[in-house]
Parts: sequence; C-alpha cells; structure tokens
Amino acid sequence: MTARTLVTGVIGSDTHIVGNRILAMALETAGYKVVSLGALTPAQEFIMAAVETAADAILVSSLYGQGELDCRGFRDLCIEAGLGDILLYVGGNLIVGKHPWPVVEKLFLDMGFDRAAPPGTRLETVLQWLERDFAARERGQRRAAE
Amino acid sequence: MSAPLEVKAHPPLRDARIDDDVFADMRRENLARWPTGSGVDFEAALERQRSLPCHKQLAWVMRRAVEEKRCLTQPRGGFGTFALHKTLMQMLDRDGLADIVPTTTDSYTRNEQFHLAQKGIEESERLGRSLLNGYPLVNYGVEHARQLIDAIDKPAIMLTGTALPKLTGEIGFAGGYSGYLGSGIAYTTSYTKELSIEGGIRNYQYLDRLAAMYAEHGVELHRRQPGFLTGTNVPPCIAIMTCVLDALLAARQGVRNYGLEMGQTLHLVQDAAAVSACRELCQEYLCGLGHPDVFTSVTLLHWMGAWPQDDAQCAALVAYGGTLAAIAGAASVTTKSTHEAFGIPTPEANAEGLRITRMAIYLARNIRLDTMPEFRAEVDLIGREVRPVIDKVLEMGEGDVALGTVRAFEAGVLDIPWSPNRFVKSKVLPARDADGYLRIVDPGLMPFSREVMEIHEAKLRLRARRDKIAYGPDLAVASVYEISEPVATLLSDKWAEAVRA
Repeated sequence: MTARTLVTGVIGSDTHIVGNRILAMALETAGYKVVSLGALTPAQEFIMAAVETAADAILVSSLYGQGELDCRGFRDLCIEAGLGDILLYVGGNLIVGKHPWPVVEKLFLDMGFDRAAPPGTRLETVLQWLERDFAARERGQRRAAE
Repeated sequence: MSAPLEVKAHPPLRDARIDDDVFADMRRENLARWPTGSGVDFEAALERQRSLPCHKQLAWVMRRAVEEKRCLTQPRGGFGTFALHKTLMQMLDRDGLADIVPTTTDSYTRNEQFHLAQKGIEESERLGRSLLNGYPLVNYGVEHARQLIDAIDKPAIMLTGTALPKLTGEIGFAGGYSGYLGSGIAYTTSYTKELSIEGGIRNYQYLDRLAAMYAEHGVELHRRQPGFLTGTNVPPCIAIMTCVLDALLAARQGVRNYGLEMGQTLHLVQDAAAVSACRELCQEYLCGLGHPDVFTSVTLLHWMGAWPQDDAQCAALVAYGGTLAAIAGAASVTTKSTHEAFGIPTPEANAEGLRITRMAIYLARNIRLDTMPEFRAEVDLIGREVRPVIDKVLEMGEGDVALGTVRAFEAGVLDIPWSPNRFVKSKVLPARDADGYLRIVDPGLMPFSREVMEIHEAKLRLRARRDKIAYGPDLAVASVYEISEPVATLLSDKWAEAVRA
C-alpha cells in the first residue's frame, strides 16, 4: 500500500511553527507522506492542498488562542470541496484563556474535527491516533473508539 | 482590506534617513488605509505626549531605570474589547505593580486584517469573553487609546508582534503610548512567512523615522527591539546580532532611545553574560558607525519556549526569571504567569506573575557575577561569535546596514533558528548543553570560527552522551521540549540503585 498523505500547518494568523515542524518530522519518520504548509496558513489553503494531493487527513495546529475563530466552518469547507469524510485533527492552545479541556474539546468536536489534542500532547499519541483511526476507516467506521 | 505585505516604496533599499517630503507622502498614504487613521493629527499628538507626566513616559522611565540600576517589570496582555482591555491594564498597574503597562495587539491586527479584527470584536462582545488574543488597537482608534492611557498611572508600551507596524504605531503614539516593541529584522524573521527581509526593514524604517520625528519636536519615545526572535532556544549571540543590526537601522533614522530584548536562556551565568555583551556590542557598533549618543537599555524575557503544564513548575520559572534578570543587571524583565502552558492568562494570574517576579527581584538586588571566571569567559565567547558575523554583514552591504542584512540572510550568513519566514535559511540549530547553556549544534552557513564551533561541540557532546541522544538535529529537538517536561522526569526522586530491590 502506498503511504498515506497528511496535510499539516498552522492555521490563521499564527506563526508558532516549531511544534508543527517537529510533528511533521515525526510523521515523515513514521512513514507518512507529509505536505507541510508552514505558519500563517488560511483554512482554504489546507483544503486546496488536501484536494491537490488527495490527502487522507488534515492536521491543524493553533497555538495563539484564536483557533476558535479560525477553525469555525472548517468541516463545511471540506464538504464543499468534496472532502466531507476526510479525517480532521486539531491541536494546540486552541482558545483564549485556561479552560477545562473537555469544554475546549467539545467545542472543536462540534465543529466537525475528529480529534482535538490538548497542549502537551505527545507525538506518539498522535501517531497512535492516526494508526487506529485509519484502521477503523478500513472497517468502515468514522474513527476508532477511545 | 487585505494585508499589503510588500511595501510600495520604490527607491532602492538603503539605511539612510528617509527624506522629510518622502516621509510626509508615506504617512498620508499609510493613514488613509483604515478609517481610524484620519484620527491622527501630529500637532495634537505632540500636545498629548507633552501633557504626560515624566513617570508615564517610557523613554524617561528607561533612562531612570538604567541610572538607578533598577530592574523594572512589564507583563504582556491584551483583550479583544475596550472594556475588557481597560480593566486588564488597570489590574496590571494596580494589582500587579507593573512598572510598564502593555497593550498586546491581536494577531489579526498584527497582520493588518482589520476586517477580521472587527468581526472578532463583535463576537467577543456577543459572547462576553475575548475571542481575540489581543487588543485591536487600530480598529478602536486614537480616542480609545487616549482613554486607556488615562486609566493607568504608568508608561504604556505597544507589543505588536508584527512586521507591519505603521498604522498601529501612528495611532498608539498619537493616543499617548510612549513605547513600541518591534523591529524590521527580528519580527520579520520571527512572525512572518511571506514578507521579505527588505519589506520588513522598510516598514520599521517608517516607524523609527516616526519616533525620531517626535524626538525632533521635543518628545522622546522609547523604541525597542525584540531580540528574543522565535523564542525557541535562541543562543545569545544570534539574539545580539539582530540587536546590533536593528539598533543601527533605528539610529540611522534618528532614534536615540532604544531597548534591546533577549529571551532568557535560563542559565544564570549565560544570561548575565548575554546582558553585558549585548550592551557592550551594541554600543561598540553604534559608536563605531557614528552614533555615540544612543541610549540603550537591555531587557530579559521570562522563558520563551514551551512551558510545563504544572503550576508549581511554572511558578519556579516565573520567580527564577526575576532572579536571573535582576542578577544579570537587566533594566527590565518581561513576565509570564503560571497559565503560560495554556495560552493567555487571566488578569489575576498575570498580576500574580508580576508580583512573584517583583519579590524575586527584591531578593536578588545588588548581586553581580562580574568577577566570576565563567562569566568573563562567556562574555568573551559571545564577542568572538558576534563580531565576525556583523563585520561580514557590513562588508556584504558595502557599509550599508540594510543592504548588508538582506544579502547576509540570502547567503545564510545571518540565520535564525526555527524561523517561519521563507527568506531565512533556518539551517542553524541550537541545543542545550549538559550544564544548561544554549549552544549551537549546527551553524548552518553562519561564519563562526572553527575555535568557536569546537567549544560548542565539546559541550554538546557531553549532553548527547549523558542523555543518550544522537549528536545532531535530535539534540535540538530534545532541547525544544526539555523545559516543559514534568519535573519528575527532569529531576527524579528515585535512586537508580533502588530498582534492584
């Protein structure tokens, strides 16, 4: 089987690139084909890149607190582009202020993300999620159970 | 309005002072870009600035801090609506005892996406909480800025993390802000992806010329350089290179009150050496290139890399950050709080970070490392790292600082670790050595001498061996997250021998 393709980058007007770059390195090492869009990437560019590369998943980083504004409607944009079922992850410091994680997670799952990663999430955790979710999709499920 | 990333100025890039008539045209064009720009009237702005008591003028306050060897405190902070932001500034002033009160702008404003900022204001008002990560200073305009300044009894500084400072600076200065953090080299290489180094330098030549124009009319403003760069293990030598070059560019426009900032390495001796070397090297080049009359102050910033999740560990970083700044002899320290791992702090947590820092500064007063051999060796090493690179930059520019800088980034002679900007090679890789000093594991194309690189490599190989990490990029990656690790991992409470039982 050819390697799965992942699109990743930092959304919106956010320049925090370091973690996303390290994530991309780890994903490549794990055997994925990674399309890195870098910092300051508008939502539409993630979707365009995913269409062009027939990507299997989009991993969105946001560290600056405005992710809530930037990520609204992200799933709708995917649907419009014919990527309605694409696996969507988001992670980082997603909203302004310190809130209980379940509250933040629900906000982003309700927006149509399949998984949301809190600050401090380990690279290994993301790799496990991807492996299990892609396996679940082979079985016709949306994503793996917890 | 979409963000005009490239400036339109057509004459070739030079470091020379912008002509007055050219500048008048540039200002007219700039102020017409958003409706609130028309609220800026230079004569009224001068009156406004002259009406401020000296303890609310940052240029005066920084001169006093240096004279009296004080270490002042300044947090970050900005919220998406005027009401929330005013309360924040007052709380930082009164409950946090901040010596300098900040206004951080939101990231849409930083990128001049004023329409998006407007939507952010409306959403924040609708939901009663800030959805923006800062104060949209341009959208609110001059009159609101005046009211914010009137609401506090300290000098206020604009913290705008942007390579597009022209409208924010105009509106803030006109409202009574007396300081502006930002510079062409540092912010372009750290906060933008598509803007060229030339574009960023030009934008800040505008802001520096504006500040100098106030000074020519008797109002001294404080300009400041963010040498903390990408905030990710930036070794002092690289921070100081940008400090020297940005200071020279500002001086060429006529700026005479200039702050230099560096992120803390968290190694006491290296931070103290960095402050000392930064002050000396900037003055050396300013004086050498015809600017003997520029006041400079040095600021250290609390840890700029990834923070631990644990409040207790964060409190240690905040307190130790105050200690480091005080012992290093910094004129001010820029603070964080126990909420740092989660993003933007509440006003209460922010004020608490200020008081923790302030207490640490008090405790560490009048301690200096100047006679310590390790300190002297480190100051000497930084000098041997910085001078060859700056001299090469000046040579490449045939004496012109702006041209030399652009060419040096193209060639990789100047480089910034972990930069998001595509005009920066970002080949240079820093890592932390076994003793906690920041060193360079891969110099990329930067012209460090063999002797200097041998010192770095020897120190880093000790760390690689101790932690069983391959010498190379892995060492740099491990260093990015080191400080955010749980303290039980960093400093175990278990004896290795105990495992046997």
